[in-house]
Amino acid sequence: MILPRFDVLTPATVTEACALLAAHTAAGVRILAGGTDLLVELRRPIIPQHVPRCDGCPTHPEGAVFSTIDCTMWNSEPLMAAGGSVRAAVKPPAFLLSLHKLRDLRGLQKRTDGSLRVGACTTITDIERSRDIREGWTALAEGADNLGSPLVRNRGTVGGNIANARPAADTAVPTIALRATLVLRSTSGIRTIAAADFPTGPGKTIINPGEILTYIEYPAPAKYSGSAYHKLANRKALEISTVGVAVYLALETPGGPVADVSVALGAVGPKPLAAASVGPVLLGRIPDETAINDAARAAMEDARPIDDHRGSAWYRLQMVEVLTRRLLKTALARAEGKK
Amino acid sequence: MKKLITLTVNGVLHELAVEPRRTLLQVIREDLGLTGTEKGCGIGDCGTCTVLVDGVATFSCLTLAVQVEGCAVETVESLAENGKLNALQQAFVDHGAVQCGYCSPGMLMTSTELLRRNPHPTEQEIRRAISGNLCRCTGYQKIVEAIQAAAGGQHE
Amino acid sequence: MSNYRILNTRARRVDAVDKITGRAMYTDDFQRPNMLYAALLHSPLAHARILNIDTSRAEALPGVKAVVTWREAGTVPYGVSPARYDETIFCYDKVRYVGDEIAAVAASDLDTALEAINLIKVNFEELPLVLDGLTAMNDGQPRLHDQYKNNMCAEVHWHFGDIEQGRRESHIIRTDKLTSKMQDGAFMEPQSVLAEVDAQGDLIMYSSTQAPHYVQRTLAMALQMPLHKVRVIKPAVGGGFGPKASCSTAELATCLLAMKTGRPVKITFDREQVFLHSRARHQFFHTMTTGIKKDGTLSFLDHHCILDGGAYASFGIATIYYAGSLLGGPYRLKNMKYDGYRVVTNKPACGAQRGHGAVIARALFEVQLDRLAEELGLDPIELRLKNVMEAGETTCNELFVSSFGMREALEAVRDSAAWQTKRERAGKTHRNGKGIGAACGFFVSGAGYSIYRSRTYHCTVITKVDEVGGGVLVQSGAADIGQGSDTVLAMITAEELGITLDDVRVVSGDSKLSVDLGAYSSRTTLMTGHACREAAQDVKRQILSAIAALLSVPPETLDLKDGFLVSLAGPLDISELRREYLREHLGFTDLPEGPQLTFAEAGRIAFLELGAIVGTGKYKPPPLGGSFKGAAVGTSPAFGCSAQVAEVTVDLETGRVTVDKITGAHDCGFAINRTQVEGQMQGSMMMGMGEALMEQIQYDTKGRIVNANLAEYKIPTALDMPHLEAIIVESHEPHGPYGAKEVGEGAIMPVIPSILNAIYDATGVRIDELPITPERVVAALRTGGK
Repeated sequence: MILPRFDVLTPATVTEACALLAAHTAAGVRILAGGTDLLVELRRPIIPQHVPRCDGCPTHPEGAVFSTIDCTMWNSEPLMAAGGSVRAAVKPPAFLLSLHKLRDLRGLQKRTDGSLRVGACTTITDIERSRDIREGWTALAEGADNLGSPLVRNRGTVGGNIANARPAADTAVPTIALRATLVLRSTSGIRTIAAADFPTGPGKTIINPGEILTYIEYPAPAKYSGSAYHKLANRKALEISTVGVAVYLALETPGGPVADVSVALGAVGPKPLAAASVGPVLLGRIPDETAINDAARAAMEDARPIDDHRGSAWYRLQMVEVLTRRLLKTALARAEGKK
Repeated sequence: MKKLITLTVNGVLHELAVEPRRTLLQVIREDLGLTGTEKGCGIGDCGTCTVLVDGVATFSCLTLAVQVEGCAVETVESLAENGKLNALQQAFVDHGAVQCGYCSPGMLMTSTELLRRNPHPTEQEIRRAISGNLCRCTGYQKIVEAIQAAAGGQHE
Repeated sequence: MSNYRILNTRARRVDAVDKITGRAMYTDDFQRPNMLYAALLHSPLAHARILNIDTSRAEALPGVKAVVTWREAGTVPYGVSPARYDETIFCYDKVRYVGDEIAAVAASDLDTALEAINLIKVNFEELPLVLDGLTAMNDGQPRLHDQYKNNMCAEVHWHFGDIEQGRRESHIIRTDKLTSKMQDGAFMEPQSVLAEVDAQGDLIMYSSTQAPHYVQRTLAMALQMPLHKVRVIKPAVGGGFGPKASCSTAELATCLLAMKTGRPVKITFDREQVFLHSRARHQFFHTMTTGIKKDGTLSFLDHHCILDGGAYASFGIATIYYAGSLLGGPYRLKNMKYDGYRVVTNKPACGAQRGHGAVIARALFEVQLDRLAEELGLDPIELRLKNVMEAGETTCNELFVSSFGMREALEAVRDSAAWQTKRERAGKTHRNGKGIGAACGFFVSGAGYSIYRSRTYHCTVITKVDEVGGGVLVQSGAADIGQGSDTVLAMITAEELGITLDDVRVVSGDSKLSVDLGAYSSRTTLMTGHACREAAQDVKRQILSAIAALLSVPPETLDLKDGFLVSLAGPLDISELRREYLREHLGFTDLPEGPQLTFAEAGRIAFLELGAIVGTGKYKPPPLGGSFKGAAVGTSPAFGCSAQVAEVTVDLETGRVTVDKITGAHDCGFAINRTQVEGQMQGSMMMGMGEALMEQIQYDTKGRIVNANLAEYKIPTALDMPHLEAIIVESHEPHGPYGAKEVGEGAIMPVIPSILNAIYDATGVRIDELPITPERVVAALRTGGK
């Protein structure tokens, strides 16, 4: 792997980071956290004008035409990310803004109102090992458990995983189900946005140039609530999920009706999706077998899967139902304090 | 364009002028000549290039050297002391955990981290810890057995 | 259990310490003063005519030392099988797959080399693609090579016995199909090459190759050099499994650049290039019709197979033959017909990979046996035991099986895995997602013939006693690529000379040292083992005769044992020899004492008498096989066999298959090193399991690989692998050294079918397309299978 030439900016504070980001936006700057996605994306392609990718990508004109392969494109034309999916055109940035010195952005803070503030540079391993998260925001812990491999988790950050906006991102899906709020900061101040509204498409978010994702705030779980995440893939590590589903479920009382439910779906649309159809089906009902089956079927309506080399749209859709059903049961058991 | 960084590698403090785009793997292999750390994929998929950075198992291929400025790096070359294999290395030799050997340095570094953090791991904990280190020769069986033996302190 | 001191033990590998301390040197670890870095221009198109190549901008880039295309490289055809030389160093008229090499650059650093590659302009005329192996041979399909009409690279038509007679005798006849996908070797070390030209003008190439000898020949032929001026050295190699067995453009281009610049040149593949270069497992489309008699004996097999081999022949001719021939065993099968077709398509060329050609054929045949057993109401292991061959039998395609622990292996896995109990348990709660399956396998222990037609010895070994006495040096061209052949050679030598492993040094993998055909077809232990034993015995004979003459005793009364020269006929007076040795070593400490000469003394004194004590050994198989066309492929001095039981859990809703346990038994004849035999078996289980459940090269409609990385080309991780139990069966092969034969490849044979059979046991549905992804399982479950 050979990386293009760039300079690395290493701010010591978030304020400095915002200032540097603003100052270098015109020249081209990307934010570097763990680097597990960005550096792969920036690497030089082995075949000029050609990186492995899915059908439909604009490598060269279709059909039997004369093509002259002229290779200045590395610096000017669309590049693809690892994994072959489409990514917006990127010019190798002149600067990377590395967040590694921003200690404030690494770590967890459980607040008095029961909510949890997670620094964007908290590693996936930190999330995975946090007892607080496993108890209160189990779906997030389970998203962290199966993200990539231990080596990816040691370097990769939750902020990076969310901001990178892959449809299958293992912490983004539970973050949406847990109705977290993202805190963005720039020289012009702070703004917050619901996690579900943050991604807009593959690799695309509402983040503006000059903004840094600084914190993710998870609201306090309700008293009788539970959450769960499951990643379906072909092996047990080093995987991008075929389908990922996260569920948050709250009961009015143990054994009582559903007070709140939130389901998010990964890898079945251009971005991690909130399954809005589940709530109306389940809210206020006793979560018995029938209700859960109805809810799981409802989740299928929100999925927008496509066929690709990781799985067919058909299979993905079927699995949304299976996983949602199973996870609702798991979350229910947790809400009732059974596990 | 080059940046001056300090890096402690295997206990030795180095001052290095590195291009910001250079990875820790490139610096270890090319600038410091420590070729025990191998490159299997270059993009974080195989674990071959694993080193410890401040004690944490890290793929050096996807880590820029400037990102670990001031850190302590340990490579496979640091494991044996005064020419004597450490317990984990000895267990790898005794249990036949080495075939082609290309994954071995990374596998050793990952399991070194595991055993420091969790001196008596279960088989499942071992498998999980090394699940980012691919091996194509052994089916992992003898590697798992070697790590178990090193943890148990038993040698044949 | 045996009378050996070193053989049959769990001796430590001779290279293990180097490898776990980081001292082992793989090709990419080498640096040379003034070394240049090379880069290759790969075709971005799968099929196109090259209209023009303009390298002028690349040549003008500062730092670029040489740019080479077909104009510099020439167009000498090469390949693996002389009958199918269809590659040239660089493409000149056409490109035939995405990745096909068009040019190479050497520059002072890698960045510059890659930059220069970007500056080469190629004008292409795109041609229609052939991507589907099943239809590639149809009339009207675009043609890849002038020499392959209908894209047919090779075909085989065999008929042994009489399948019509077999049909008439059959009680049940079934036809089944199995398709696989192209797969990758996924060895951990990407190919790397370092070439230099020495002061004498000799070309020296270091390469992560499995076969220095064949590579040496190909380099000399394609670069038009005298053979003796080309030397190929294999440093430590990080796995091969077949794809590193053939000479590559990376090797040829690097040599060419070194010759052109006069400077050392290195190239190391990026992981993506490993996939582009491929030369790994073919895609197979098998159809088999098998008949069985009422009593459960096999009556015939009618086998049809299409292989999609990608753009070039590579090992493909051998592959198509192996796909048919290795079904001759391990069962008694009198009537067998085989029609095999190997086609070319616009995809990376396929070659040899562990279990060469035979893996998917074996998988389907073993699945068929289970289906036939079910229809007959027989236990699948019973059915197999009814049909297994015994030592001394010959297959219908004239493969003689001189040792055969098939029955023992099958019984061992049956008992060790508690087959009966689990099978009954599974039977009661059938289709609950828990399943158990069994299968067998059969493989060569070294190809009976070299790839080029020749009477050549397949290997030679030269063993020399240090002139100072004590140490022994074994020189061999054999290629240790991680399988442990250096350790086997050291163990054999130490055993024969009565010394310790630490007294022996092995230097190997260098074409200058000796001839050795390389690490393929599971040949090294048997073949190089023979040569190594002979060389050690030659050394021993020289030492004993020298000492015997000095002591005036018959040499037959002397032996080398436990580090000493011992007499079998009463005490010897060694005082004079001892005095001479001590006189030579005035001032030394730790001198020999006691009534026997040490090995060091004996070696030193033998040198004083005779000069250099050099022993040589050689091996080639006797003439083997029948006289029909293609009879050579599949012949071997010996055959390994194996049995396995896989236990699985299938999630009936998601289709996820978890392999809970694999129990395997392999007949390796005699285990030179028990740990290494188990290691080969366990590695085979992992590779087979990956191929069964997750491994597949995926292409887009333009012939581009979409998963050319180890994240999306999935091989099992430690979390996916179950506990692997490896049982060694030793049948004592009369044609093997000490009774030893292969284990490296045979052990992969039963893995895929045992998993397929276990999945059927778990789910009640059959899946006829590999890999068995969760999606395929769910699709089969929802349609009820076929």
